[in-house]
Amino acid sequence: MFACIYIPNASNDAQAALLDCAGAFSPRVENMPPGAVVFDVEGLERLFGSYSEIASKIAEAACARGLEANVALASNIDAAVCAARGFGGITVLNHGTEANRLSDLPPAVLSASPEILETLERWGIRTLGAFAKLPAVDVSARFGQEGIELHKRARGVGSRPLVPHVDRVRFVDVVELDYEIVTIEPLTFILSRMLDGICTRLRSRNFATHEVHLSLGTYIRVLNLPLPVRNPKLLTRLLILDLEAHPPGVGIRRIEIEAIPAKPRVVQNGLFVPLSPEPEKLELTLARLKAVVGEENVGAAEIQDTHRPDGFRVSKFSSTNKDISKLDKSWQDLPNFKLLALRRFRPPLEATVQLRNSTPIWIAFHGVHGPIATARGPWRTSGDWWRPTMWDREEWDIEVLDALYRIYFDVHMDRWYAEGVFD
Amino acid sequence: MQSAILHQGFALSRSRSAPQGFALPRSRSTRARLESALGERISAPFTDIERRTLETVPTGIAPLDALMGGLPRGGITELFGPPSSGCTSAMISILAEATARDEVCALIDGNDAFDPKSAAAAGVELNRLLWIRCRKLEHVLKTTDLLLQGGGFGRVVMDLTDLPASNVRSIPLVSWFRFQRTIEKTPTVLVVMSSENIVKSAAALVLRMEKQDAQWSTLLNGFNFNIEIVRSRKSRPLKSYVRVHLHSECVQ
Repeated sequence: MFACIYIPNASNDAQAALLDCAGAFSPRVENMPPGAVVFDVEGLERLFGSYSEIASKIAEAACARGLEANVALASNIDAAVCAARGFGGITVLNHGTEANRLSDLPPAVLSASPEILETLERWGIRTLGAFAKLPAVDVSARFGQEGIELHKRARGVGSRPLVPHVDRVRFVDVVELDYEIVTIEPLTFILSRMLDGICTRLRSRNFATHEVHLSLGTYIRVLNLPLPVRNPKLLTRLLILDLEAHPPGVGIRRIEIEAIPAKPRVVQNGLFVPLSPEPEKLELTLARLKAVVGEENVGAAEIQDTHRPDGFRVSKFSSTNKDISKLDKSWQDLPNFKLLALRRFRPPLEATVQLRNSTPIWIAFHGVHGPIATARGPWRTSGDWWRPTMWDREEWDIEVLDALYRIYFDVHMDRWYAEGVFD
Repeated sequence: MQSAILHQGFALSRSRSAPQGFALPRSRSTRARLESALGERISAPFTDIERRTLETVPTGIAPLDALMGGLPRGGITELFGPPSSGCTSAMISILAEATARDEVCALIDGNDAFDPKSAAAAGVELNRLLWIRCRKLEHVLKTTDLLLQGGGFGRVVMDLTDLPASNVRSIPLVSWFRFQRTIEKTPTVLVVMSSENIVKSAAALVLRMEKQDAQWSTLLNGFNFNIEIVRSRKSRPLKSYVRVHLHSECVQ
């Protein structure tokens, strides 16, 4: 037996209240917004008595929550919903009487699409009884599968199973401290204990997490992971390293951790997978490296879409950046790499250059000085003239003291710089 | 099994006058006695350590690979030479070769001198290369420790070229042996690049680079460099040179 509680024009709050009300009677509740919830009341007779008494109890519970609701009980879900939508107050449809009881209701209670309702209107179908009398084959020919479903509902013979509503589960833990913590070290033990509990809960529901929100009073840090993990030791270490890099700077009285659930990573390793670090281990290594050299100095180089010399940025590194897609290629097809590499001076080193006939003949910069044996240039480049970061320069390649350098004359700064050494 | 076969061959060659059926059991019993005597201190006294380091990976420089087979896995390879000797080009070639095979590599850049554009032009897949930009020697050493202990990298390159020579020389030899010990049983190749020979006996392979003639057109067109194998654990040091030509058409 199923019960339906219905409120016309229900708001979001009212819908939540309906769910609460239904949840007080059964754990198996289906949410049917707007304004309806259906739930299984089988077996409640022992608690509340007959079906009429159960319906009265449900109506009282709704009323206690400030809801003016229709309540209907029927042997199937669709009949209960139609009855709740069509009849005011309390209705109980006994098994076998659904078609007869619903026959006077308008087709609007079926929740059909406006097109179908309009067509029924044009056909002169004003009640469910009239619709139920139509041959099912003809209804199918005209309305398709949806028409068959509506026809079943009109006859009160629905048989679909209940789809239980599942609340979003939050994996949160909060600790209120008796006294303030001002250093990171004691926090390790508290975070470890909290994350142990959260990871156990995640594991019990077969979840992992790729995002952890840590709130230390008003100070909030978000840990984003490239892949879902549920290892409490790893998460604790990553959070501590993050806090060491970005200390809160205030005393901590309240700690809240929320892990956003995600599907765990399932990996089938192969015999011929190329060498790469384990993702979880790599994440920890990256966090440690960032603590040593700074966050901006660790990552993968990404060349920017510009002709500006040294135009790049450092992006987050992940060993899963690229899938293994090139295993089938022939290794013999690899190019023979023999391109000349430049070692850059960052920032470029200011240089003193002497010219003869507009050609550099002597240079001095950062410990290097001497006559230029060979100089080739100039190669003029410029760009971004519409931005403050414009560049306009003349490049020369030179040989000094048996080493090969690239130097350039900055037209706007009217100065010479050494950009790098070919090596 | 392999060491047993080798041992068997050794016993047969040394006891030609003795009956063959006699030599084998005696050698085995001697080996068993030695193993039981040394077992407390040395877990596998007859395991051929040299054989473990024989696996090599190509450098991408064909003449060099043809001469010495490539870089030894689980060992330190040192490249050294003065400015414009071709060390960086060789290092980029090594990284390009590794990333082209989808191996993940790391570059510990001692003085933030790496140029991503010329590396990408030479074939390095930058999203397979972890780039750590350092400014201090202590950061370089600490970073190397972390990466090697983390494991899983095909090539780890330490670029010490532009750091002050006195600082680089002061790295204790024990540090290099520690690195060597860390990667010994792993497939990782640690490549150390510097302006002078610093890794000494901890290195499995030491290559000295030297610039030869340069070719010029509108700008620098390229140059040749020589590679000398100074030390090789796989074979005797070779005084032969490999001459490699580099061209600069992709360097912006």
